Amino acid sequence: MIEELKNTAKKAIDALVNEGADKASASVSKSITHEFNVDGGEFSLFRTLFDKKLVMECLKEGRKGTDSRNRYDDESIKDSAKSCMESAASSTPDEAWDIAPKGVNEDFVLGEIKPDTDRFFFRCRELVDDIKARFPQIMLEQMIMSHKEVLSARANSNGVLFSTHQGSYQVMLMFSGHEGDKASSFFVSQAASYDLDKPFIELGSLAADLGNVEKQIETTPVQGKFEGTMVLMPSCTAELVGALVSSFASDTALLSGTSPWKDSLGEMVADERVTISLAPLDERIVCGKRVTSEDFRAENFDVIKDGRLNAFCMSLYGANKLGLKRGGNDSENLVIAPGDKSIEEIIASIDKGILVGRFSGGQPSSNGDFSGVAKNSFIIENGKIGFALSETMISGNMAAMLKNLRAISKEQVADGSTVLPFMAFDGITISGQ
Amino acid sequence: MIKDLVTDKKHLFASGANTELRAQINRARQATLLNGDLVSNVRTETSGVSARVYENGIFGFSSTAEYTDESVREVLKAASENAAFLASHAGRGKGPHKPLPDTKRFTAHEINDLEQRAYIGFAKAVDAYIAEKYPDLISRIVVAMADSSEKLIAVSNGADVHWLQPRSFIYVQMAMEGPNGQPVELYDVIGGYGAFDANFKDASTLYERIDVLYDKLRQKANGVYPEAGVKTVIFSGTLAGMLAHEAVGHTVEADLVIGGSVAGPNLNKRVGSELVNLVDFAHTAFGKPVPLPVYADDEGVEATDAVLIKDGILVGYMNSRETAERFGMKPTGNARAYGFSDEPLIRMRNTAVLPGKSKLEDMIASVEDGYYLIDTNNGQADTTGEFMYGVTFGYEIKNGKLGRALLDTTISGVAFEMLKTVDMISDNMTWETAGMCGKKQPMTVSMGGPEIKCKVNIGGR
Repeated sequence: MIEELKNTAKKAIDALVNEGADKASASVSKSITHEFNVDGGEFSLFRTLFDKKLVMECLKEGRKGTDSRNRYDDESIKDSAKSCMESAASSTPDEAWDIAPKGVNEDFVLGEIKPDTDRFFFRCRELVDDIKARFPQIMLEQMIMSHKEVLSARANSNGVLFSTHQGSYQVMLMFSGHEGDKASSFFVSQAASYDLDKPFIELGSLAADLGNVEKQIETTPVQGKFEGTMVLMPSCTAELVGALVSSFASDTALLSGTSPWKDSLGEMVADERVTISLAPLDERIVCGKRVTSEDFRAENFDVIKDGRLNAFCMSLYGANKLGLKRGGNDSENLVIAPGDKSIEEIIASIDKGILVGRFSGGQPSSNGDFSGVAKNSFIIENGKIGFALSETMISGNMAAMLKNLRAISKEQVADGSTVLPFMAFDGITISGQ
Repeated sequence: MIKDLVTDKKHLFASGANTELRAQINRARQATLLNGDLVSNVRTETSGVSARVYENGIFGFSSTAEYTDESVREVLKAASENAAFLASHAGRGKGPHKPLPDTKRFTAHEINDLEQRAYIGFAKAVDAYIAEKYPDLISRIVVAMADSSEKLIAVSNGADVHWLQPRSFIYVQMAMEGPNGQPVELYDVIGGYGAFDANFKDASTLYERIDVLYDKLRQKANGVYPEAGVKTVIFSGTLAGMLAHEAVGHTVEADLVIGGSVAGPNLNKRVGSELVNLVDFAHTAFGKPVPLPVYADDEGVEATDAVLIKDGILVGYMNSRETAERFGMKPTGNARAYGFSDEPLIRMRNTAVLPGKSKLEDMIASVEDGYYLIDTNNGQADTTGEFMYGVTFGYEIKNGKLGRALLDTTISGVAFEMLKTVDMISDNMTWETAGMCGKKQPMTVSMGGPEIKCKVNIGGR
């Protein structure tokens, strides 16, 4: 099957070259998804999905065209090649467009390729039962448990030819805590695994998240406004630090010239204890991409290394356009290096602050300002975690925040797509009623 | 148009079960110019067929990208097998849904699928105008985009559907230097229902909106942060629509009610002042077609309006056939799927706060110290009704008059408490159609409202 897909990818390249493309690339993939859904605490749906994808890209005299569809029979390839070339013909020439050079072609196989449906359902039902038994105040709004098998091949006219065959399990829970008419905020917890060896409740931070939400049914707003310490739970670190990387280090932020870090490469932009990486090859990441969407062999890279801005998340186009180094991967799989203190020690050191599970706010402004509602959060007073919070807003500036680091926990949560510690930042504005 | 390979397969539907068979094509075309460079030039097309079978209280579903007589038979078989698997392990002992009268809702029509040069050319014309007239901008982004979804649905009972929804938009974003040299941004989205060549004939018709956007950005660059705290504010129709959708709409989707949303214990109770009325419109409002009309949903239910709040009282939910039976309500045609491989979920359509009788100028004049909040770039809400919006443009109101423009800020509140503070609603109505709602799947939605005066928590800085 993989050989068939590789041949299809090569056929797509030939079609583009025959249409007159100077350079061409194509990706072809096929996927099979098995998915169980639980709604309102009861099993509701079993889905099996069979999908395909063909993405063709061409360059003609510096003009780029792209076409994407979910079929790759001979007629579709022919149509797609034509559409791609038409699209390029109307485009604007730009010397920055290019395709990956030929390196070492490889084939990758990752994870449990085919699901054992009965055993998979057993693990799903076990998770529902575990939650009912261990967290009786939790109401499962929705639970989606899936196995996805993906076969893919990527080729380009420079002779690049990669293939990947992978299978993995994903679990997503959306839930809230309830007692009578009182309810907590909802929370979404997710995790991925290569296999079914462990009960799902043991994956990522599922159990910890369920336990925290049970403690958030009774909430109290913060009184007044103060400046304090914000401790991000790992799930929230992904949201806020992930947004920071996107706002400050992404292709678009650099190309548009709005990134506050645009002239800071090699400079200290964070506390020296901060190392932020994008690492699809980390062994704790499940099915991290081995090949980028631009046909390069994926590599891990550090955006910030020991507080210093080390690299931007540049595409090949962005890198050529701005004379910068290309990022090593598709800017996925955030990994933040651990610190040397336990989360208990960090909390014990804080006089007044907030432990944040989820941030409900928009994309930060391009200057790094952010403000939003602290959801699934607790007050921290005199070194102890106190009551759960409602109607509490937090605001600050992300660039300043990274320099005002108080501590990073030595504990990390690996949920299959990220590996993140707790992070504590000083100087955050916290306001309530 | 989709070739019909589904309606002649009804004889394959299992008796004693509800079956939906859907063929679908989704198309998207997009050209993005960043500072004049074409950074994205994409055409996508996704198509296939799916079947869903409801049996013993659970659903089996299957889909495939192939669309042939054989693949249609295969998805029907796979959906039935999936239903049987799950029913044998976790069936709920329920019978099929109450039958609906068999009807047809065939409203699809041909649209012109333009070549990519049309999108690129239009974006270039808009970009050239901005580049020449406003050289002081740090950056400009112009996106020309169009999407469409065509569905052909055969159901075991209810309405068979052939439906096509085209949308097209021009997105313009500008950034300029603001306070302390930091960039400030603002964007506008122009367009709505309809094919690209129907909505955009001449770039010059957009110039006025672009000039307004630039003028607002210039004001914002000299703007101030609002003072934090609970304040009297006037929401624009755009923000009122966001409130209708995010803060109220999601909590009254019946699947979220079952999941524990705040609307469960509040049915038939006061959740807003008596000025507040909120409706999820199907296809017609105030005697005119709504921005994204839905005539029947993907379960074969003829679409009717879902009245959610009447004179401040929560009176209903949005339902699928299954949840309508559970709550003893009438299904209103809210079960919709985004792509061919998506199952129908309870989704909003055209959700709006209804206009009142006040004049906007009187509303502004009535505020001694507050804010007029005009544009938003995002909104999120909790199943508790607690909501948050990013506000990207607005003005101070001091002694009944508009003051300085605002820099980016955030507002928050709890919907069913905040709605009780509404004391004036304008007689205007603004619809937004560019939205894409997220709930397991994306979904095209519109939202609307008049200006409303209320109290919310504003973030300041």
